[in-house]
Amino acid sequence: MEAASVSNLSSEKRPKPGKRGAAVSPRWRLAVASRVAAAVIGGYLLASLSSICLAQLLPLPRAEAVVLSMTLSFLVYLPAVLWCFACRTAWRAWWGLLLPSAVLGAVYATARWLL
Amino acid sequence: MAWLHTWAGLVFGWLLFAIFLTGTLSYFKNEISQWTQPEIVPHKVTAADSVNRAQHWLQDNAGDAKRWFIILPDERSPQLGVSWIPAKGRFQDKTLDSLTGAPVQARESMGGEFFYRFHFQLQMPYPWGRWLASIAAMVMFVALISGIITHKKIFKEFFTFRPRKGQRTWLDGHNAVAVLVLPFHLMITYSSLVIFMTMVMPVSILTTYGTDTRAFFDDLFPAFKTTAPAAERAPLAAIAPMFDVAADKWPGSRIGLITVNNPGSANASVTLARHGADQIPHEPGTALMFDGVTGALKEQSTMNAASLLLAGGIYGLHMGHFAGPLLRWLYFLAGIGGTAMIATGLVIWLGKRKLKHARAGVLPFELRLVEMLNVASMSGLMLAVVSFFWANRLLPVSLTGRSDWEVKVFFYVWGAALLHAFVRVFFRDGRSAWREQLCLAAFLYCTLPVLDMATAGSYLWASLKQGYMTLAALDLTALATGIFLAWGAMRFRGEKNVVIASTSSALPEAR
Amino acid sequence: MLLAALLCYVGFTALCLSMSRHYADLLGGSLSTGRSRGLKAIGWGALLLSLWVAMASLSIGQALVQWFAALMSSAVLLVFVMPYWPRLALSLAGIGALLVPVAACLQLLA
Repeated sequence: MEAASVSNLSSEKRPKPGKRGAAVSPRWRLAVASRVAAAVIGGYLLASLSSICLAQLLPLPRAEAVVLSMTLSFLVYLPAVLWCFACRTAWRAWWGLLLPSAVLGAVYATARWLL
Repeated sequence: MAWLHTWAGLVFGWLLFAIFLTGTLSYFKNEISQWTQPEIVPHKVTAADSVNRAQHWLQDNAGDAKRWFIILPDERSPQLGVSWIPAKGRFQDKTLDSLTGAPVQARESMGGEFFYRFHFQLQMPYPWGRWLASIAAMVMFVALISGIITHKKIFKEFFTFRPRKGQRTWLDGHNAVAVLVLPFHLMITYSSLVIFMTMVMPVSILTTYGTDTRAFFDDLFPAFKTTAPAAERAPLAAIAPMFDVAADKWPGSRIGLITVNNPGSANASVTLARHGADQIPHEPGTALMFDGVTGALKEQSTMNAASLLLAGGIYGLHMGHFAGPLLRWLYFLAGIGGTAMIATGLVIWLGKRKLKHARAGVLPFELRLVEMLNVASMSGLMLAVVSFFWANRLLPVSLTGRSDWEVKVFFYVWGAALLHAFVRVFFRDGRSAWREQLCLAAFLYCTLPVLDMATAGSYLWASLKQGYMTLAALDLTALATGIFLAWGAMRFRGEKNVVIASTSSALPEAR
Repeated sequence: MLLAALLCYVGFTALCLSMSRHYADLLGGSLSTGRSRGLKAIGWGALLLSLWVAMASLSIGQALVQWFAALMSSAVLLVFVMPYWPRLALSLAGIGALLVPVAACLQLLA
């Protein structure tokens, strides 16, 4: 059960579990902290942008579109967080969130100034 | 993924245990309030009579207020609640006797409202508590889904629960309460995010409405728009006849919140909303608005937009207002299941790591810290909860600020439990911390009915004679909880080496 | 909802028995593939039937809420009774199955 999940984190040189006395490397700690930051900040960014896009694009009265976009936003936040801990490196965690966020931002900007 | 689940679960587990436990208690907040203010006796009064009495009282005592709110008594809350926003100053409220229309003479107590507010505000200043609770909710969501992903044998072990096998049993138990009650856990967690979504995810409001957020809320709740009072004065029409119109427009529904805007002014209006228990979704947009002077129906708004009903439905599922007695007990038990899921998770986290240090005999500092927090957040909180009820019965009825004192007792006891846990875990062992706190808690819960009979017995017997079971039901639930805690305390009997012997037998199966 | 709840419990018991480990614990002996498939069919069938029954008597919102409540309650009951009182767990399923026609009549008449 542990093996599959340790493997992606171990690509960042985590010592094998059970090795008593061996300190966890600072590099590993940094990688984990980076993933957590990506999950919290990047995830929120992606969820917010998806909410903004949805509110802009849904063919509903304003208030309804906003309510639906907020209601569904957490369904974006969740996979974003899971991605940050499932992907192979901490860098991928960030790119995996920042790139789609940029795309959504572009979609919103286009929709806002075209429609 | 397992890493995420165990660490997110640990760091937020203590807080989530508190939120789940107090939230579970909140399903019976009205009943808890009945117990903490037994002086308020249910009366059989018609809605019309109740609202007449409320209206007269407000007219006499808050005639110049900007807004009045009236909440009628129902089968779970015997009080007639009135509140108002004065011309100058802050929101005020009063509890009236539905039979006499006069303010009730009952001991001051927050009752069930304390646990309800705590579970989403955490006794922290606005808005920090809500933010922390919302963050905890998101972490809970992540922990649930990561737990499902990690639990590879979720179908194979769906029916598996193997008692008396040490760590294996704890894990089976954790999986059982998690998986078998999963629909509830997912619902409660997601809905808690939706409830505060305008606070945690407001960006789409801002991009759509700019800074005019008032317009957003007015679009959602057209019946609750506030207007400035007109210069002319005019007497307010009687509210009771409006109920007949409501009965016609909303057959089979009771009235919930009654709002009077600008009472006594020429442009006064009365808004009626349906009772929360009569439908599942929370529908603030469904209301009847009446002219406050003529009493005529001006506007009927019905919230029927799919997206609003979705959000309202999610909100309503969390609140469970619609639940009748049986379903309410099931909500309560499901909440206990969620609380147990978190508790077993915390115990397993520590138990697994304790096994690795079993031979050394001494736990490293971090694990002792976790053990202390486990004890304080779980048995400590149980002690705090029962202390609230003990304080309610023991504090003098006429003590000023007694409501605040009940809350202070809750936190002082919780703090004392933390201190006790610290001393025991760091200077003796965790077992004694658990054993002593669980013993004390068991004693206090089991004897709560005795305390009730001794200090407020007259109310208890009166309620039973009238056929109201609420006070007795709370006493019996406390007794059952005490028995469960006593059973728990028994499992921490004996010396440390007994622990090692029984857990080492689980070692071959431990993951 | 009584009928739906009974069907949930019966359904879960059947699904439980369709697994060889639980079959061996509850009934003794080994489980043939044919019997396992049959039990799975009965199990899933009962659960789906319970959902249909729930929807038939209430509005969709109320039906789903109460059905999930029945589903979760029956699963918890089975899983926690089984290791301590396996015969009771089975007897409840048997009694439940016998009461199904009774509950069905009650629901039709109501």
